[in-house]
Amino acid sequence: MLDKYILNQVLDEALKSGGDFAEIYVEEKNISNIYYDDDKIESINSGREKGAGIRVIKQGNTAYVYTNDLSTKSLLKAAETASRAAGPNMINRSSIALNCKSINSQIRFQPEQLSFADKIQHIVSANNIARNFSKDIRQVTITLGEARKTVQIANSEGELIEDERSRVRMSISAVAAQGNIVQTGYESAGEIGGWELLNKVSLDDMALNAAKLAVNMLSAQPAPVGKMPVVMSSTAGGTLVHEACGHGLEADLVQKGLSVYKDNRGKQVAASGVNIIDDATIEGKYGSYQFDDEGIRAQRKVLIENGELCGYMYDRLTAQKDGTKSTGNGRRESYQHKPIPRMSNTMIGPGSEEPEQIIKSTSHGLLVKKMGGGQVNTTNGDFVFEVQEAYLIENGEIKSPVRGAILTGNGPEVLKNIDSIGKDLGFGIGTCGKDGQGVAVGDAQPTIRIKQLTIGGTRMADGPQIKRIRRK
Amino acid sequence: MNEDYLKEAGYIALEAGLRKGVDTEVYLTINRQLSIEVADHLVETLKESEETGLGIRLIKDNKIGFAYTSDLSARAILEAVDDAYQITAYTSADQYNQLPSGKYEYQAMQLYDEEINSASVETKIAMAQQVEEAARQTDGRISIIERAGYEDAEYITLIMNTNGLYASAKGNFSGIYIYLAAEEKGDAQTGFAMCMSKWFKDLQPIKVGREAAANAIRSLHARNIDSAVIPCVMEPYVVTQFMTILSRMVNAETVQKGKSLLAGKIGQKIASTSFHLVDDATRADGTACFPFDDEGVPTRCNQIISRGVLNHYLYDTYSAARDGVTSTGNARRASFRSLPGVGSSNFMVLPAANSTESLIAGIGKGLYITEVMGMHTVNPISGDFSVGAAGIMIENGGLTFPVRGITIAGNIVDLLQNIDAVGSDMRFYGSKAAPALRLQNVNISG
Repeated sequence: MLDKYILNQVLDEALKSGGDFAEIYVEEKNISNIYYDDDKIESINSGREKGAGIRVIKQGNTAYVYTNDLSTKSLLKAAETASRAAGPNMINRSSIALNCKSINSQIRFQPEQLSFADKIQHIVSANNIARNFSKDIRQVTITLGEARKTVQIANSEGELIEDERSRVRMSISAVAAQGNIVQTGYESAGEIGGWELLNKVSLDDMALNAAKLAVNMLSAQPAPVGKMPVVMSSTAGGTLVHEACGHGLEADLVQKGLSVYKDNRGKQVAASGVNIIDDATIEGKYGSYQFDDEGIRAQRKVLIENGELCGYMYDRLTAQKDGTKSTGNGRRESYQHKPIPRMSNTMIGPGSEEPEQIIKSTSHGLLVKKMGGGQVNTTNGDFVFEVQEAYLIENGEIKSPVRGAILTGNGPEVLKNIDSIGKDLGFGIGTCGKDGQGVAVGDAQPTIRIKQLTIGGTRMADGPQIKRIRRK
Repeated sequence: MNEDYLKEAGYIALEAGLRKGVDTEVYLTINRQLSIEVADHLVETLKESEETGLGIRLIKDNKIGFAYTSDLSARAILEAVDDAYQITAYTSADQYNQLPSGKYEYQAMQLYDEEINSASVETKIAMAQQVEEAARQTDGRISIIERAGYEDAEYITLIMNTNGLYASAKGNFSGIYIYLAAEEKGDAQTGFAMCMSKWFKDLQPIKVGREAAANAIRSLHARNIDSAVIPCVMEPYVVTQFMTILSRMVNAETVQKGKSLLAGKIGQKIASTSFHLVDDATRADGTACFPFDDEGVPTRCNQIISRGVLNHYLYDTYSAARDGVTSTGNARRASFRSLPGVGSSNFMVLPAANSTESLIAGIGKGLYITEVMGMHTVNPISGDFSVGAAGIMIENGGLTFPVRGITIAGNIVDLLQNIDAVGSDMRFYGSKAAPALRLQNVNISG
């Protein structure tokens, strides 16, 4: 990591021709991924990367320059470029005194402490379990990935944060086929930390569940088409809340007028009893962190309380525009990107009903146990999600499985249409893409019932990729 | 930094590989990018970057090891070679793992537009502002400019291997784009337009701004329609989104893994006679124009589907060896951080002679599809799709009212066979290009 003296020099250079805020973000990253497919190690990818991004903000506008050459000469050149791009200004300023907050790593088991051989042993075992489950299993794909970063964030407010972050994830997809029908079962898990994850979540169990799901869905009938009540089990994770609501509460979209939730603070935007929270502080969860990528401490934010919109998710820049403080949601994919407001772990808070009771009280509808990917148009709130595992509910009982269901609807309408909230809570993980940047997120929800959603068509997801959550 | 700097780093890696007695390939890049985003005539974000990196691929006893580094110091390169070497202990042996055989002649191509390099940042900012201004002036209902911008990229790629392959080239391209929204009586709809080109002089800010505005305006006050099976015309942009799926299906790697429904279909008629699909990295007006692929194999024009008949798949060196054919020059890497795999370059559905108006004119009741959502979830194994869509109703040969909130469902092969007319207006979106297509019967659920 860089010396304080150099960071200071860079910040001085960045503000040479004025500006309201300057920052340098330095990152060193080691990654390793194993990709197993077709009964063999398809590839192992290992890499080291470092770089720095320098940002100058002047009157709300941003100049961002990055380089992966960390020599002082190169950093000063990048700072000079940023300063020039931000435009002239006559304000003289004195040099910045950096005050360092260093984070002690919470990671007990560094990812790289698990050898390739050990990881491969876990993978091969899981592969055998999935394949032995049924002769209909045609393909099993398993990935194990890890990333460890050390970051330094120094800014013209005199703050200096040094942080160490590590994240691991694993996923398995099992493809089953009978005749022309092909179905995929997919399981994933991930957390902040190291491979102690393997002691908490069994890759073998994930393999078995993925295989079971793929095989069970072979005998499923095609999903019905039309409008009906939908019960979403907590096992579905929170893709719905992330897409249908979360993006619309990010301050940059709100300020640009691109959110259906603009000008709605203090208004009833969801059914009573609905609480929506973004919480970066939950220990170990995939979207958690100690400091965001602008050096702001992670927070728990209640976005919607009992149906009323109470706030948005802010980074520094959008907070300043609204005359408020950052909520610690300024995140970036890497040193190559400027921070923007992003979710961490987003959830619908649990209610008080028994999940089984919610199903029992539904006379006719669809029970969604597992979601696939989704997409939302934040301007009008329209979304589309695919469903991986679903069953018909008849007279309060879970009946036959259905495959290929697609849910389409409108975010604000869905929030108003939630009429039951369970007391359970289930988490999911994902990589959320926005403005070309992917960041790790978690999401969660209890079992909920939505009065009505449109179910359409037949399709399903494929492949080992982590659940992609995309925005238009 | 230039080619010589990369060459020096490359030789350090190759020599380290040779000392270990293994086949070695080194892929090096320098990437420079500029992106400008304007909002309300001010520069909201200006981003400049320079990135250098190296990816090393070793083959020992038919096993592959790969590692990358962004640090091109001799020490970091040697560490990467050691990492890659260590990995070969764990990966699976495969007799088809091999590096391209070596010394090729590469076609001379026009890859670099000096004008992109010499135009000032101020000129580029002004272009982004013109896009925004043109959009606003088109119609008073254009209320929000989400992003309008200019970007350019310049790249040097150098590939060397121990079979004597040496490939090096420098290219660039530039582009402008805009995302906006139109509002009227409580309804808000988005629109976007872009133009990417290898030639700076081809960028037309006013045209792009007007097109995005028109796209948003035409979607205002859209409504749902009842489920129906009707003829459709797909806009070129929508066609290019379906082509993303098609590119996976004609990828030899996908085929060999049994994940494409086009497996075993070579020589068969899988699409309408009017459908021609090519992948052509030699095509000068495509942004993917380059003399060699990401393993250093010379590129060429590949006729994948002609008159509806599937001629061949797209191959890199590995998948070609497995099928006993030669590489089609389609090895692609996302960046220096990844191993090569099969991918498309300038991937194009060739145009015919029909204007968009004439495609629409023949339809009594149908849909002009302008937007699809959720395309990334289409299943390439079965070809089944069901995607969210929006468009404009066609009634008695003319466009009438906008439609949204519908899904279109079917199978991609049925869709290809359902094409009954091809438009003349082929357009590039990124490196994919297509004209409008007319389809006989599309399943729409409202």
